[in-house]
Amino acid sequence: MTPSDSAQFPAGSSHPLQSPSVVTAHALSQHVPTADGTLAILSDVALDVKAGETLAITGASGSGKSTLLGLLAGLDQPSAGDIRLLGQRLNDLDEDARARLRAGRVGFVFQSFQLLPALTALENILLPLELAGRADARERAAHWLERVGLAARGRHTPRQLSGGEQQRIAIARAFATDPQVLFADEPTGNLDADTGARIIDLLFELNTSAHTTLILVTHDDALAARCQRRLHLVAGHASEAALA
Amino acid sequence: MTFLRLGLWLLRRERASGEWRVLLLALVIGVGSVATTGFLGDRLKRAMSEQGASFLGADLLVTSPRPITSWPATPPRAPGRPLVTSQALEFSSMLSKDDAFQLATLRAVDAAYPLRGSVRIAPRPFAPSTPQPAMPPPGAIYVAPDLLPLLSASVGDRVQIGEAVFTIAGVVAEEPGQLGGVFGLAPRVFLRADEIEKTRVLQPGSRVTYLYQFAGEPERIKAFGAALKPALDSTQRLIGSREGVETLRGAFANADHYIQLTALISLLLSVAAIAIAARRHALRHYDQAALLRCFGATTVQLRALYAVQLLTLGLLGSLLGVAIGAMMQQALALLVLPAAVTRLPSLGLAPVGIAIISGLLALAGASLPALMRLIHVPPLRVLRRDLPPLPVGAWVSAALSGAALLLLIAWYAGDAKLVGVFVGALAGLIVVLALLARLALFGGRGIQHMANGPVRFGLAQLLRHRFDSTLQLGAFTLALFLVALLALVRSDLIAGWRQQLPPQAPNFFLVNIAPYQQEAVAAYLSQHRLKASALYPMVRGRLATKNGAPIASTLPEEARDSNTLRRELNLTWTAELPANNTVLAGQWHGAQRAAAPVKRSPVGGPSPRSDPSAEVSVEAGMAERLNLAIGDQIGFQVGDQTIAARITSIRSVKWDSMQPNFFVIFAPGPLDAMPASSIASVYVPPDAAGVLPGFVKAFPGVTVLALDKLIANIETVFDQIIGAIQLLLGFLLAAGMAVVIATLLASLDARQQEAVLLRTLGAQRSYLAKGLWSEFLALGALAGLLASACAEIAMALIGDRLFELPMRLHPWLWIVLPLAGALLVGTSGWLTTRHITRVPPMQSLRELG
Repeated sequence: MTPSDSAQFPAGSSHPLQSPSVVTAHALSQHVPTADGTLAILSDVALDVKAGETLAITGASGSGKSTLLGLLAGLDQPSAGDIRLLGQRLNDLDEDARARLRAGRVGFVFQSFQLLPALTALENILLPLELAGRADARERAAHWLERVGLAARGRHTPRQLSGGEQQRIAIARAFATDPQVLFADEPTGNLDADTGARIIDLLFELNTSAHTTLILVTHDDALAARCQRRLHLVAGHASEAALA
Repeated sequence: MTFLRLGLWLLRRERASGEWRVLLLALVIGVGSVATTGFLGDRLKRAMSEQGASFLGADLLVTSPRPITSWPATPPRAPGRPLVTSQALEFSSMLSKDDAFQLATLRAVDAAYPLRGSVRIAPRPFAPSTPQPAMPPPGAIYVAPDLLPLLSASVGDRVQIGEAVFTIAGVVAEEPGQLGGVFGLAPRVFLRADEIEKTRVLQPGSRVTYLYQFAGEPERIKAFGAALKPALDSTQRLIGSREGVETLRGAFANADHYIQLTALISLLLSVAAIAIAARRHALRHYDQAALLRCFGATTVQLRALYAVQLLTLGLLGSLLGVAIGAMMQQALALLVLPAAVTRLPSLGLAPVGIAIISGLLALAGASLPALMRLIHVPPLRVLRRDLPPLPVGAWVSAALSGAALLLLIAWYAGDAKLVGVFVGALAGLIVVLALLARLALFGGRGIQHMANGPVRFGLAQLLRHRFDSTLQLGAFTLALFLVALLALVRSDLIAGWRQQLPPQAPNFFLVNIAPYQQEAVAAYLSQHRLKASALYPMVRGRLATKNGAPIASTLPEEARDSNTLRRELNLTWTAELPANNTVLAGQWHGAQRAAAPVKRSPVGGPSPRSDPSAEVSVEAGMAERLNLAIGDQIGFQVGDQTIAARITSIRSVKWDSMQPNFFVIFAPGPLDAMPASSIASVYVPPDAAGVLPGFVKAFPGVTVLALDKLIANIETVFDQIIGAIQLLLGFLLAAGMAVVIATLLASLDARQQEAVLLRTLGAQRSYLAKGLWSEFLALGALAGLLASACAEIAMALIGDRLFELPMRLHPWLWIVLPLAGALLVGTSGWLTTRHITRVPPMQSLRELG
């Protein structure tokens, strides 16, 4: 039942400096032990994403994009450095507290869609709403199903849907809880160019109307170009380039 | 609450998934087998305790092979009114009508019988019955319903008992103590105690049980029982209403124990199937759990979600199992229990609780380790599919499952020793089966090389999924082995009885031949050219002393309870060593001491003097049990006298020779003057069967025991018990199949991937289908072969020790079991996996994500 920030920050992108930070990272590093010693996946990454901003994290395969996304969303703990998500310092929170922080306030879109195969399209959208205990869960799910143009496919299971349709359902699911921040991991990675383009259009269209902060990981320059900011990773080191 | 609701919602949506189905199936099978045995045992126990005193027909019952003439006075200060008493006589005799004759157990009762409970009499079989005095009107008898067809008689007909004729006045629908007669072989007849005399059936030496019943206020009964106990000897028994029930309960509890352990094996096999299904369920739900964590689900919430799913499945499976158990026990009850028990309310609550708790415990033990991993899935898995869930400490899983299983086993086995034996035997069996399975699979490699095409592919699958194959093979072999073992015991025992009867072996025993009838009987038999054994006189006596000391005092504590000491033995005397007897030690006494003087002394009087001329021969088994040796002086209490003699030979006896056989044979002399009836065996060829009705009419007091009928009766009873156990083994077989299906389901994704690849490369559906069929048929046949080997070995081991059956091979087993195994595993395997041959490769790829 987190109220949408849209009322307070009707156009986050136009007043970024006045908006509060949704995600910040400071001196963020992630190391994993390997047989040959410690491998640095991320080194000294700093980041500040304001409400309503859109950020693309780009880089080659293995550059640490997904790891960074996971850390920012509180799905993992960093080896060093601080992360704040929605005003809370993640380092102070255990796994369950981080989960509670995400509930209803953080949305996800994945490369592999991650729809539950046993549930219908409508039920997949319903799932996070039910988890967040929304009283109007069913109505909202139906509403978002319609928003992504799949009202007629509500009773179909993921198996009966194409890749593009599955990703639409995943996007509807991500927006259904009115999240303050949405993390997207290669949202077009499993789609052909045309479908990918349509998915990008849908994602940004919904994001604009919902005024959600969007942080996405992508290989796709076209997609990165749609974001206000771009963080480029090379071997775990970040360099930010503002985008036109 | 949300997560509980969500758990149920997800469960409902996933209800069609294979894992849940197998999990549920396995649970239903396990709980079903536990519930069946639980209900049956409970029903028996409740029947016994609900009947209480009415079960015994009295508050106190004294049984004695001889009349008891003096009773202790009830202590004068004992409260309450005097005790009510009733006296009855029980013995076996022949009933005949026209040319039909049948052995029956007669109970001659007075007007007071029974003191507690009631006898219900019906006007004809299966008609509604009413409680009535057990004593029929003068000249009439009441008979058990099964006697009527045996005599081709109906109510109102006249039948002969001994020298008297009676009218059948009604059918005994129910009587006290009927539980004890579950496996009774001779149908029951009630007649009036004052009409025994005119039958002239009872002769000196006849085997009779005197039943003295007492009823009264508890204090008085207690005082009387206490006063009576010291006055009884070891052949007489004092049974309180509690004790009577307890004795029976003990006997049933023993059988119940082993039957419950069979149920436990089914449950444990189900546990294996559940564990495999739960593991696959967890594997397939890691992504779901990670996603839920991304959406904000905490550990507690996930735990609640999966716990409610598990509990729902557990309860559903358990309730279904209980329902199946209730139906099965009804079938079993109809198979093996008398009407008096089946008429009782059948379903107790206790077994329902036990079955459900067993089911939940089995489910928890088997699936918690997998579910714990599910709860601890890192949310990062949504981004990195390769990320495994946090491992739950192996010892935690093992401890959880182990504790749950041990708890179950301990619960069923009852005592620590049995738990140890059971766990040890099971562990041993599992190791042996696993080794055998591995060896067989190794052997299969040779066959694989010889095969080609899809068969080769199928056999290769068997070897590739080596762990799965071993598990499937082990589980199914165990089930088939136990089923086969039971079948072998049954067929071998019966075949054994039949084979041991040489052609023209005696098929009838003539019992209770009075001394005055001996010559006439011998004349009758030779007149009809019937081949009979010698006529052996019989006196009943109890072994009382050894070398002057009470026999019990010469024995270690554990040997004192020997049945040989508790009952009266049939003592005979002859100069000739009977056929089928071999002297193992000492020398056969022969006839040379025929004139030996008799040494007698009244009971309680001075011990008889050692008389070197009185000689006796003792059977080897009895001598061993009672520590008797050549030269020992043993004393028997016969009626009110003690007869002593010195052991001069120890014999082995071929008990199954169908000849009159004896533990103790005296030299002629000491027993000559005792009241004795005689026994003989005779062979009546089928074409001379008409002679017997004439014999029964000519000698109404002589009991004719038809051995073939007796064997047929034993077979019927045996078949009922085996049938009951086989129903339980059906559960075992089903549990074995559940393991096979669960294991196959667990490998289904990998198989589907292989199938996609093969089909993409051009393999036809029929190729895949043939491959699958070859794999499962081979697996089933192999399990059948292994089970045959195990059953043969087990039979060779226990058949010799337990049943004294000679070792022999059973060629049919080696054909039937592999065929049955191939059929069962083949069908269930094909039904589980056929999907992968039918789905287009594209759809397969999509399903696999």
